[in-house]
Amino acid sequence: MNKIEAKNVDVYYGAKQALFDINMDIEANKVTALIGPSGCGKSTFLRCLNRMNDVIDICKVSGVVKINDYDINQKDTDVVRLREKVGMIFQKPNPFPKTIYENISYGPEIHGVAQSKSEMDNIVEESLRKAALWEEVKDRIHEPGTGLSGGQQQRLCIARTISIKPEIILMDEPCSALDPIATAQIEELIDELRKEHTIIIVTHSMSQAARVSQNTGFFHLGKLIEVGSTDKIFKNPTQQQTQDYITGRFG
Amino acid sequence: MNSVIFLTIVLLALSSYFFGRKKAILIQSNKRLTALPKFYGYYLAIWCGAPAFLLYALWSIFEPSIVRFFILSDYSSQGLLEGELNLFYEKVKSLSRNQYSGELTAELQRSAEKYLNFRDIAKWSKVVIVLSLLIASTGYAYTKISNNTKTREPVEIFLKGVFFLSSLAAILTTIGIIFSLLFQTIEFFQVIPLFDFVFGMHWYPAKAFVRDASEALDPSMYSDTFGAVPIFAGTFFIALIAMCVAIPIGLLSGIYMAEYASKRLRQYAKPVIEILAGIPTVVYGFFAALTVGPFLKDLGLSLGLEVSAESALAAGGVMGIMIIPFISSLSDDVITSVPQNLRDGSYAMGATKSETIKRVIIPAALPGIVGSILLGVSRAIGETMIVVMASGLAANLTLNPLESTSTITAQIVVILIGDQQFGDPKTQAAFALGLSLFIVTLVLNIVALSVVKKYREKYE
Repeated sequence: MNKIEAKNVDVYYGAKQALFDINMDIEANKVTALIGPSGCGKSTFLRCLNRMNDVIDICKVSGVVKINDYDINQKDTDVVRLREKVGMIFQKPNPFPKTIYENISYGPEIHGVAQSKSEMDNIVEESLRKAALWEEVKDRIHEPGTGLSGGQQQRLCIARTISIKPEIILMDEPCSALDPIATAQIEELIDELRKEHTIIIVTHSMSQAARVSQNTGFFHLGKLIEVGSTDKIFKNPTQQQTQDYITGRFG
Repeated sequence: MNSVIFLTIVLLALSSYFFGRKKAILIQSNKRLTALPKFYGYYLAIWCGAPAFLLYALWSIFEPSIVRFFILSDYSSQGLLEGELNLFYEKVKSLSRNQYSGELTAELQRSAEKYLNFRDIAKWSKVVIVLSLLIASTGYAYTKISNNTKTREPVEIFLKGVFFLSSLAAILTTIGIIFSLLFQTIEFFQVIPLFDFVFGMHWYPAKAFVRDASEALDPSMYSDTFGAVPIFAGTFFIALIAMCVAIPIGLLSGIYMAEYASKRLRQYAKPVIEILAGIPTVVYGFFAALTVGPFLKDLGLSLGLEVSAESALAAGGVMGIMIIPFISSLSDDVITSVPQNLRDGSYAMGATKSETIKRVIIPAALPGIVGSILLGVSRAIGETMIVVMASGLAANLTLNPLESTSTITAQIVVILIGDQQFGDPKTQAAFALGLSLFIVTLVLNIVALSVVKKYREKYE
């Protein structure tokens, strides 16, 4: 079953067109990797899926993006509800300047999820456990989240995102600011998370795409060149451009 | 004459730059130089100007006292007092300018002639000696210039010295001001007990006027005169009113400018707000005294309230308006410098704009905002013109914003306006107040700057 269906998506930054007629289906409970050279539009496409492009004044999006068969680009879409269902992890870990606990409780509080303090405590612990961070921080969850290491901060951001149980998690190069060990921990976590969430990950690292994803889409110059199972894209691509990129002939 | 010498030195130094450079360029035609030709020019200019200027400055400083010494040496045997000698010397000087109208004596006339004579000698010998030093040092440096003269290093050292002296002047002036405050304050506290000043409840410096000289140093005469509590209270009270106006409006407008306003609006609105900061405080002062004060009085009358025409509310309110741009513009800057990825993180959680501002951006920018508020407070405490014009000069101890009250700055003005005498406790009270004010604003500024600095370290 397709969780997300994008049809004829165009994106403009001012007069410059960043995405050209993207059509892509994304399967539920799988990890879909978006790869391609810098500036190819893969992050822009990712931001179409939770309407984060709204934040950028000059950005115009057209086309249809259906999540659970509902077009999120309609005028009356409730962006707050949408983003509750579609979480996002950014390139640079961005914990809020608050304690670890408050970082996690932020989402449940603004969406009124928890009814009591103990319920909130449970959500915080559960989210931290799912993000494989609980054991490391359980003694200092009332200390600032900004005091953690880079990898821990990124897992904190993941915990923050899953605290409101989104159906979809978007990851925009989540490991690009991390060292190899922290990267391995996040990749392991991604595999764990896909049981409950649909994950779309933008990555620069082809080996990461090969390791974590089941499906892969290859973007080039604002166009979706090829999409299919990761195995097929890496072993047997149909497009010459994909072949060239995979084998490192450009990019 | 002095300005002619000064101009001559400057002009000669400038022209020697070209001679130095020209000589270097000539040498350059067959030998390699150790520095660019312009350094040879600077080198010669410094050798030309610096020694002559130094001598000229020292001469100008010491000449008057040396002349005085020679004139008065004729009378040293007469056993005159220092004050009498001073008076005599002033008479000699005014006679030499033909401005003397007192009794003429033979010795006065003789001394005045001698004085003129000495001044003439001093003037011409100054010209001759300064110019010959200039010629000698320039000639020395000019003959020294060759292809391997070290010119770059001396020039750099000289420039370093100039920069050092400039900063030294700034620092020494500050220290000088602090010490003059300190010494006068210490003298003040030798007459008025510190306890009476800090905890006294009555401030009537005018009472100190009626004393005669014999009583001037008797502490018992000043009881209930220099009790600073009412004016400290007034200062903080007016500052509090000002901050009640400035903090909400400044902060909210800063948030609006940083988060909501479109680029176009911001482009025009921000300079307009900042223009408020450029209005001279005296203009705010008469705005407070002539517009706001009477308006509040009329408003109070129609509500059945007794409002003084010069009220703490009018002064504090207008002072608040004056401080709005500081808080608005500084908090706008710190909010803008909160990284975009924090906003994105919050929006991606499904937070609305106001939730993001309230729960993520303000906490992140809080140290900077606190810093801007503290700077605003230190301005409010140090502000003078508005309170002098709008809040009255009587130091009432009151917490009613509708009455008039007075502040430290206003009282300093009151004390030092018109005739005053040094060594008088009333004048020295101004120094004691100034020192208190200085300490309060210094502490506030240090706290504010360290808070702001801590914030900067976190995000840069």
